[in-house]
Amino acid sequence: MDLQTASMLSAGSLILIGMVAIFFVDDIIKKIMGATFITDGVNLFLIALGYREGGVVPILPEKAGNLLCSYPKISTSCIESFAEHASYPLPYALVLTNIVIGAATTAVLLGLVIMLYKKHRTLSTSKLLGVRK
Amino acid sequence: MIEYILMLGAVSTAILALIPKDLMKAVIIGTGIEGLALAFLFQKLLAPDVALTQAILCSTIIPGLFAITVYKTQREEG
Repeated sequence: MDLQTASMLSAGSLILIGMVAIFFVDDIIKKIMGATFITDGVNLFLIALGYREGGVVPILPEKAGNLLCSYPKISTSCIESFAEHASYPLPYALVLTNIVIGAATTAVLLGLVIMLYKKHRTLSTSKLLGVRK
Repeated sequence: MIEYILMLGAVSTAILALIPKDLMKAVIIGTGIEGLALAFLFQKLLAPDVALTQAILCSTIIPGLFAITVYKTQREEG
């Protein structure tokens, strides 16, 4: 199968693994790792949407393979062939913001875990909630 | 060819990170190696700026924060 379909399938399986980790695992640090997996799966899915077969990176250089565009004078046919071959640059802006948001959320959650451990001296959620197993 | 190996490696390290009882091993495998595999994969999908951000944040800083948390709480599970 081609690269785009395989990336979307692996992004879906990463989201599933993250959700299983949040629901069924006992330790609280592994639950936070599951939240990181869900963020990574969503970012991979968004990047795989903007892929184009046999394309180039959307940066306009002076000479890029077959697209010869010398920089001060750019003819219109050079711009058109670049626009036909470059990958779609809109999802990158969304994914850049999302990565930083995910990292900041993880940092806040880990701070809360340290405060919880100082008070209760345990890391397993069934003992923290008082559920008898 | 190498893209499919990277995808398989990312998913398999995500599954293998939930198994060990030693928390330091689980955290370094689960976030460090998987973040690095995803950074290579983002470059193969024609997105170099996202690959740089993912390699810095989710392969170096986030495993560091997780390791500090494991050091300050407890090393074994339970």
